[in-house]
Amino acid sequence: MLANASPTGAPVIETRGLTKVYPNSVGSVPVLAGVDMSIAHGEIVALRGPSGSGKSTLLNILGCLDRPTRGAYLLGGSDVSALTREEQAWVRLHYIGFIFQSFHLLGHATALENVTLPLHYAGVPREKSEQMGRELLARVGLSHRHEHFPTQLSGGERQRVAIARALTGRPPVVLADEPTGALDTKTGAEIMRLLLELRDERKTSIILVTHDPEVADYADRQIFLRDGRVVDRSEVPDGPRS
Amino acid sequence: MALGRETWRLAFKLVIRQPGRSALTMLGLAIGVGAFIAMVSFGEGARRSVVAQFEVLGTNLIKLQTSNPGSNPRPAVPLTDADVRFIEREATTVARVLPVARRNTPVAFGGEQRPTWVNGVAPGYIGIHSWELAAGGNFDKTDLDERAKVCVLGQTNVRELFGDRDPLGETVTLAGSVPCRVVGVLAEKGFSTNGIDLDDIALVPYTMYNTHLTDRPTYAYVEVEPTNKGLMDAAREELTDILRRAHGIQEDEPNDFVASTPLEVIRAADRTAKILGTLLASIAAVSLLVGGIGIMNIQLVSVAERTEEIGVRAAIGASPAQILTQFLIEGLILTLIGTLAGVTLGIAVATLVAENMGWPRVISPSGVGLSATFGVAVGLLFGYLPARRAALLDPIHALRRE
Repeated sequence: MLANASPTGAPVIETRGLTKVYPNSVGSVPVLAGVDMSIAHGEIVALRGPSGSGKSTLLNILGCLDRPTRGAYLLGGSDVSALTREEQAWVRLHYIGFIFQSFHLLGHATALENVTLPLHYAGVPREKSEQMGRELLARVGLSHRHEHFPTQLSGGERQRVAIARALTGRPPVVLADEPTGALDTKTGAEIMRLLLELRDERKTSIILVTHDPEVADYADRQIFLRDGRVVDRSEVPDGPRS
Repeated sequence: MALGRETWRLAFKLVIRQPGRSALTMLGLAIGVGAFIAMVSFGEGARRSVVAQFEVLGTNLIKLQTSNPGSNPRPAVPLTDADVRFIEREATTVARVLPVARRNTPVAFGGEQRPTWVNGVAPGYIGIHSWELAAGGNFDKTDLDERAKVCVLGQTNVRELFGDRDPLGETVTLAGSVPCRVVGVLAEKGFSTNGIDLDDIALVPYTMYNTHLTDRPTYAYVEVEPTNKGLMDAAREELTDILRRAHGIQEDEPNDFVASTPLEVIRAADRTAKILGTLLASIAAVSLLVGGIGIMNIQLVSVAERTEEIGVRAAIGASPAQILTQFLIEGLILTLIGTLAGVTLGIAVATLVAENMGWPRVISPSGVGLSATFGVAVGLLFGYLPARRAALLDPIHALRRE
């Protein structure tokens, strides 16, 4: 369906005139008003902007959870802006890993089961997926925590499990929505360093949504959104958290 | 397919890791299935029990009785020895003809005297009604031919007249003047369904009864045993024909007697019991349906509760079809376990009740199969709606809810 991620410098993500309009009672509200952006392989980009700037909507569209009203979204060179729900699921499964602020681990599944879940949906046999899961858990420093349930893990450990889960399918793109938002500063810094290391090892592109300028500084590049448009950094008022 | 097996395995784990919720979900269905099996078993057990009770009356007897319906201008003609002999001579489908004469008359021993039912019967009477002897023996053909003054007493007469003494060989006085030697004692039978003391009885040879205990020898009724059970209807027709001729009844005149078979009574009882059984099963079917709705409700609540989980699965890349399948399989596992528990429960309850009620324990494989199939079908049907709702959840909304 999609071309394999090529290391040649062609962007892994490219959007052209991405527009999202939500109808409401008085007409329609444009949440995204023509977003053009391009993200290279292995690049970490911080997506910033005040509340209501359209960050979440853009992330949902980039994550194939939502579709743009207009415009094109090229993922690995293929247009994925008008897929069915089943097709979107397939793209998420093979091309995108998600990391959330509140981890979103399955409470009734062990760390290993959480990590291997994408492989399960991809139809990877259990022995192989468990082996891959163990390797990844070891890589994020949790080799001793395979059989633990999320409630038995600390916040930092949970986010490491979530990172391992986002990476098991070797997706070319990882979307991280405030990945350190629920963690203390020290743990947050550890998580960011881990993400950087994994990017270096796997050449994964990471799109990082954050309010925190310190976290954003880990990124190679920052994109600012305001009123549904990409703007220059100077156009964003420097509030305490933005 | 590996994924299929994995989905089953994971769903099973999920069911096991939430035993409380799983048990609650299954409870309704288990009770429904159990109730269905138990009710069907009760119905069938009660039916067989009722039929068995009626069968004691003798299923293979035709009873001839004098009858005088209001519309019949002819006076009632009692059945007599002449009728019995005529039947014995003419009938081809008949093995035995057993006349019964009876009257209520005093029986006395020592200083004691009490009224009782004295039945003049043939020696075969006891056996044909499955009555049993507690002591002594029955009178026989010789006694019948010799009009012997012998009798077999029921338990009430023995108790009232003899107390703790042994009545065998003693002589009682019937109807104030006829001495009669006690040769046997009937086993206790208790009361009939309409409150008649079945032990308040004395049996004597009908020949002796006709000679010494009545001025006008007539029979209360005549019981006829066909040569085999399959000939009941043919024998009844033949007997009707013979008796009409014996009584000189014209073609256009109604019978002055009734020829009935206990089979008719049994069939009526059987039908009644079957209606009752169907009623019980219908009620149980409703409870089964309610059990299915229980599964649906808890699964719906479960889908709402697990919105975040469903959102996460969707974000990770589970397709709507995979989520649907997962919830269907979860529902199916719960349904299967619930149905299995219900079958066990139903059989246990049916056994317990049957033992306490003295019914035969009847558990028909088809009844169990039907309720199990029905249970699984209901579970699947009601499991589909929540599964579909889960599959259609928008992952964006599902993840936003916190």
